[in-house]
Amino acid sequence: MILGLALYNSVNIEPLDQIKKSKNDLIFNAVSYASDFMSNKIETLPAINASDFLVNISDDLDNYAEQKGRKLGISDEYHFIIEGNATITAIEEEYVTVMLEGDKELRIATDFVFGNAIRDGSGMANIDDYQNTMDFNSISVELNNIVRETVVPPFKKKAKIGDALYVKGAVTIDSTDPPLNGPKVIPLIIKFND
Amino acid sequence: MRKRAVYLVTILALSFAGCNSRIDKAQGPKKMAVVISTLNNPWFVVLGESAAERARELGYEATIFDSQNNTSKEAEHFENLIAAGFDAILFNPTDSEGSVSNVKRAKQANLPTFCMDREINSLEVATSQITSDNFSGCVALGEYFVRKLNKKGKYVELLGLVGDNNTWNRSKGFHSVVDHFPELEMVAQQSADFDRSKAMEVLESVMQSNPDIDAVFCGNDAMAMGAYQALVAAGKEDSVMVFGFDGAKDVMDAIQDKKIRATAMQSPNQMARTAAEMADKFLKGKRDFSKKTPLQVKVVTQENIDEFGAYGSDN
Repeated sequence: MILGLALYNSVNIEPLDQIKKSKNDLIFNAVSYASDFMSNKIETLPAINASDFLVNISDDLDNYAEQKGRKLGISDEYHFIIEGNATITAIEEEYVTVMLEGDKELRIATDFVFGNAIRDGSGMANIDDYQNTMDFNSISVELNNIVRETVVPPFKKKAKIGDALYVKGAVTIDSTDPPLNGPKVIPLIIKFND
Repeated sequence: MRKRAVYLVTILALSFAGCNSRIDKAQGPKKMAVVISTLNNPWFVVLGESAAERARELGYEATIFDSQNNTSKEAEHFENLIAAGFDAILFNPTDSEGSVSNVKRAKQANLPTFCMDREINSLEVATSQITSDNFSGCVALGEYFVRKLNKKGKYVELLGLVGDNNTWNRSKGFHSVVDHFPELEMVAQQSADFDRSKAMEVLESVMQSNPDIDAVFCGNDAMAMGAYQALVAAGKEDSVMVFGFDGAKDVMDAIQDKKIRATAMQSPNQMARTAAEMADKFLKGKRDFSKKTPLQVKVVTQENIDEFGAYGSDN
C-alpha cells in the first residue's frame, strides 16, 4: 500500500500534446512579434523631423548621434527613426530619391531592405532579454520581410517623379563613414499627399 | 588605568594592522583565469593573450587555459581554477549549450564569468557576454557579396561548428540578404568546423559535382584560406570569389594581394580587453552589467583594406 502510494506520487503523467505545447510556448515567435509591432506601434512611434536630422548630422554628427541615436553594444553605428514630407525626384533600381522641405535629399530603399535599422532605431527589443541572440536577430529579419512585402510594393507601383508624400522610416549612420549621397531610409510608413 | 587602556587598544590596533598586511602579502594580487576554446587557431591566441595582457595591466595575475575544443577538458579547467581560488574567469566557450554547466558551477562558487566571442545559451549564469555582432557583420558582407556577383551566380557556403551560435548568426545574417536574390543559387552548404584543412577537403569534394561555381562564402577566415587553396589546386582561383569572416592576418594579406575578395573584421583584442575591464569593475564592486555586449563588425574589402589592420588593430 505504502509502496503503491510512493510510486503513484513519484510519477507525473502528462499528455504528450500538453508537453509539446509547453515547449512551443517557450519558443520565441519573431514573426508575430514583428507583425504586432508593424501593425500596432509604428503610427505612434516617436520620430525626428527628417530635415532637422539631416542638418544636425551634417553639422556635428558625433555629438548628435550620441545624444539622439540608439546603438547596439560597442559600435560606431547609430540608428534613428525619422519622418517628413517630401517630393520624389528620382526613381532608380535600388532607391527612390526624395527632396525634403529645405532642399535636403533622402534615399528610400526599395531593394536592399536589410539590417537592424528598424529594430535598433525604435528600441523595440532589448538584446539582454534574449538567451539566444539568433532570436533577437530574427526580429530584424521579420521586420524587413514585412517592409519588403507590404510597404515597398505599393510604394514602387504608385511612385512617380513629382509626387508629394509623407515618409516615416529608420536610418543607420556609421559615424566613421557618413553617407555622401543622402542617408538610406528603410520605410515604415509612406502616404501619398493626394 | 586610563593610560594602560590606551596602550592596550594601540597594541591591538597594531596587531590587527600587522595581520591585515600579512594577509594581503600572503594573498598577493587577485587572479584572473583566461579559458580559451582552442589555441590551435591564431585568432583565439590573440583573444587569449589580449585578455591576459589587459588583466595584467590592471594588476591581476593571469593564467591562460586551452580547452582544445573539448567541453570535457573545459570542465576540468573550471574545476581546477575554482579549487585554485581564482577571482574571475574570462571565458571563450567551446559550445553554446555544453559550456553552460561549467559557467553554472563557477557561479555556484561565487566566481564571475565573462564570456568572450562565443555566447552560451543562458542569461542566468555568466555575469556578461561580450561577442561580435556576427549577424550585422554578415548582413553587410551579404550585401557586398550580392553586388560583387551582380545578383546572380552559383555559390557554396562553408559553415563553422554546428554547435556554435556564431556559426548560425553569421549564416542567418548572410542569408537574410542573399536569399532575396533569386538568381543567386546555393549549390552546397556544408560544415568544415572552422578548420582550414577540412574546408579545403570539403570544397574539393563539392567541386567534383559542381565545377561551375562563382563564389564561396566561408564562416571564418581559416576556412576561407582552405577554400582558396582548393581553388588554386583546381586552377580556379581567378574565377571564383572567396569571402571570409574574422580579419585574420593571412586573409588580410590575401585581400591585399587580390586573392580573397572580402572578410568581416572582428576585433579579438577589443573584445578581450572589454571582458578584462568588466571583470576588474566587478571585482571592485560594480554589479549592474548588461547581459550581452555586442561589438560592431566591419566589412574589409579589396577597396578599403588600407583602413584596417589584422585582428582589428589600427593600421
